[in-house]
Amino acid sequence: MSGTAVSITPVVVRLKLSLLRNGLRQSSGRRAAYVASVVAVLLVSAVQLLGLIALRGHEHAASVVVLLVAVLAAGWAVMPLFFPGGDETLDPTRLVMLPLRPRPLVRALLAASLVGIGPLFTLCMLAGAVVSVAHGGVAYVVGVVGVVLALLVCVALARAVAAANLRLLTSRKGRDLAVLSGLVIAIGAQVVNFGAQRLGSSGLGQLDGPADVLKWVPPASAIGAADSASEGSYGIAVLQLALTAAALVALIAWWSRHLTRLMTAPDGSTLQATDSGARERTSTGLSRLLPAGRTGTVMERSLRYVWRDPKTKAAWVTSLAIGLIVPVFNALQGSGSIYFACFAAGMLGVQMYNQFGQDTSAFWMVAMTISSTRDAYVELRARALALLVITLPYATLVTVLTTALLGDWPKLPEVLGLSFALLGAMLATGAWTSARFPYSIPQEGYKNVAPGQSGLAFMAILGGMVSSALLCAPVIAGTIWLNVSEGGDKWSWLLLPVGAVYGTAITVAGLRMAAPRTARQLPEILTAVSKG
Amino acid sequence: MTSGAETGAAAVRVRGLWKRFGQQVAVAGIDLDLPAGKFIGLVGPNGAGKTTTLSIITGLLRPDQGSVEVVGHDVWRDPVEVKARIGVLPEGLRLFERLSGRELLAYSGRLRGLPGAEVDKRVTQLLDVLDLAGAQHKLVVDYSTGMRKKIGLAAALLHNPEVLFLDEPFEGVDPVSAQTIRGVLERYTASGATVVFSSHVMELVESLCDWVAVLAAGRIRAQGTLAEVRGDAPTLQQAFLELVGANARDTGSHLDWLGGGATR
Repeated sequence: MSGTAVSITPVVVRLKLSLLRNGLRQSSGRRAAYVASVVAVLLVSAVQLLGLIALRGHEHAASVVVLLVAVLAAGWAVMPLFFPGGDETLDPTRLVMLPLRPRPLVRALLAASLVGIGPLFTLCMLAGAVVSVAHGGVAYVVGVVGVVLALLVCVALARAVAAANLRLLTSRKGRDLAVLSGLVIAIGAQVVNFGAQRLGSSGLGQLDGPADVLKWVPPASAIGAADSASEGSYGIAVLQLALTAAALVALIAWWSRHLTRLMTAPDGSTLQATDSGARERTSTGLSRLLPAGRTGTVMERSLRYVWRDPKTKAAWVTSLAIGLIVPVFNALQGSGSIYFACFAAGMLGVQMYNQFGQDTSAFWMVAMTISSTRDAYVELRARALALLVITLPYATLVTVLTTALLGDWPKLPEVLGLSFALLGAMLATGAWTSARFPYSIPQEGYKNVAPGQSGLAFMAILGGMVSSALLCAPVIAGTIWLNVSEGGDKWSWLLLPVGAVYGTAITVAGLRMAAPRTARQLPEILTAVSKG
Repeated sequence: MTSGAETGAAAVRVRGLWKRFGQQVAVAGIDLDLPAGKFIGLVGPNGAGKTTTLSIITGLLRPDQGSVEVVGHDVWRDPVEVKARIGVLPEGLRLFERLSGRELLAYSGRLRGLPGAEVDKRVTQLLDVLDLAGAQHKLVVDYSTGMRKKIGLAAALLHNPEVLFLDEPFEGVDPVSAQTIRGVLERYTASGATVVFSSHVMELVESLCDWVAVLAAGRIRAQGTLAEVRGDAPTLQQAFLELVGANARDTGSHLDWLGGGATR
């Protein structure tokens, strides 16, 4: 084999550079997004570098940077699980047909991993961390060695995790996981926000405990070494560096072993998945509770999709979370109005929009069974009912919870009434726009609208929300009137039944308007939802 | 075969069908009479308009012009009569893949208004015959191509349609699954039902069909019994290549470097 005589490292590094450059050759929209994200990362790097340098001399500086580096390393470990498509050189099975040996390949891939915006960001942070804790020449020498080691550990960690989980990442379950990654980031941001608020109130001293442990855990131990060297504990510094180096060697060995197995074992897509058997059978109880005929059948399918389809699930979890967080957190902070509770109904009502787009091109199965306006009406009504099974108790719960937090029980009936009216209006406009402005939801990636249809989607949802608000106007006007008129409070309980009846009536009216259009336009709807 | 002798025996009657996608004409004036009770092959090269034609006939795509009648009912004016009588296996459209195989069939059957107990009975039998019983609780998204085609076929057969439309039912299907599908379809046509399927594998069409329509560039080049379409050519493949005008292409001289054992 002549291939092993020539080092493949430059080839792979050049491949990585080409891939980065090709990011600029995409369509103008993507190019703009690419450039914007690069600029944003560079700006954040610069700001945090300055911030870390400013931290120099602070009492708890060492604790802060050790913790930061540990979080960064955790980020490197998790990233490949959620963004497997992010780095194509990350997938060694793409190189499987080439006559390459594992050892040079590991070297080459590790070198290629060091190229990119992520490593640059990490380098800035590590350098800043060393600057903020290092005092004296020896500490800087230890720091430079530490930065190199820590960076390599981060990169090797990402590679090793990716290689170990490649079977999962290239399988259907892995792709499902990736769709949910946005949620993880959103929740993570909430946790960080919460942590930052606690630190703001009770001081950085709280970090010392965890940092004492983490400064022995690679790669944070490499930065801990710089701190130890500054304090003159050279023995400890050497030990911490050695620990980091040992971790690096272990990671590379682990990665190399998985790589060899990946390159020699069959690809995950050709392996027969073992039958998961009885696990899926549990949900039959659901169908017994639902009405017979088309209504129950459609409801069952819709409810199953809320749980099983990653896109639908992500949309639902987002709606449920925001619908709860906005009113309850505002109430907790004492700044909220009780009327924020209607937010839950509004957020969940959005799920009625683009019903057929949620089906993707599988809508043909529905289209083949709709041959009259009546069929279309029953189909849409069943989808609305499935939504109500979750939404009605949830909106009620959020409203009661918000009321309890604010202690404003007399207002409960009118807020519930408003919620129900709003929900009805959202269902009505949702059904109508589903029939009038269907658009397709791509199943791969993070986008929720196919290219070229974003204007349509935006207009449908925005227009629908504005018209929902307008449709609720009678109930809103009634609420205002009872609140401002003298003695109106005595009658405000009436708004609960009025809102409920109004919401129901408006939903039925919306479904009745949407049904004939759905029945007439089946082929057009199918074409619209099959794009992308 | 006495073509046209049977009274009103057309399973499908297409007149003056046109469909354009922007500049491209996908279907350019098709007239088609497909006899009932036959195994009918719709053949043509890629991009000939097979999928578009089948989509229009089954009511999944609206034509620019022309009329379609299935078992005597207009597809657009009388969808109630037509949709109950046809089964469809489209190509390139998804199924509800987050359902298990059994759930998908149960959903499909109930959506068509069949009673639940009857659906469950038929589903069990279809899963058995199509060799899917072992994978019935697996999500369809995890099925292989062959299994997807089979579950699609089961969904199309569930309500016992009079005419079955299958778009490329054997594409990407392994020989074992293909034999299973074949067996089911042969049994189904033997009982007097009609199967219309598209394919570009001539050997398959030749061995399965008794009636063939050849489609190229959005037009019908020939239609009739297998013998009529084949004419004097030794095989359907030869007849087909002559009909679509692909025989004259010479590939001999261009790839003169290609061959075993030579230097690189």
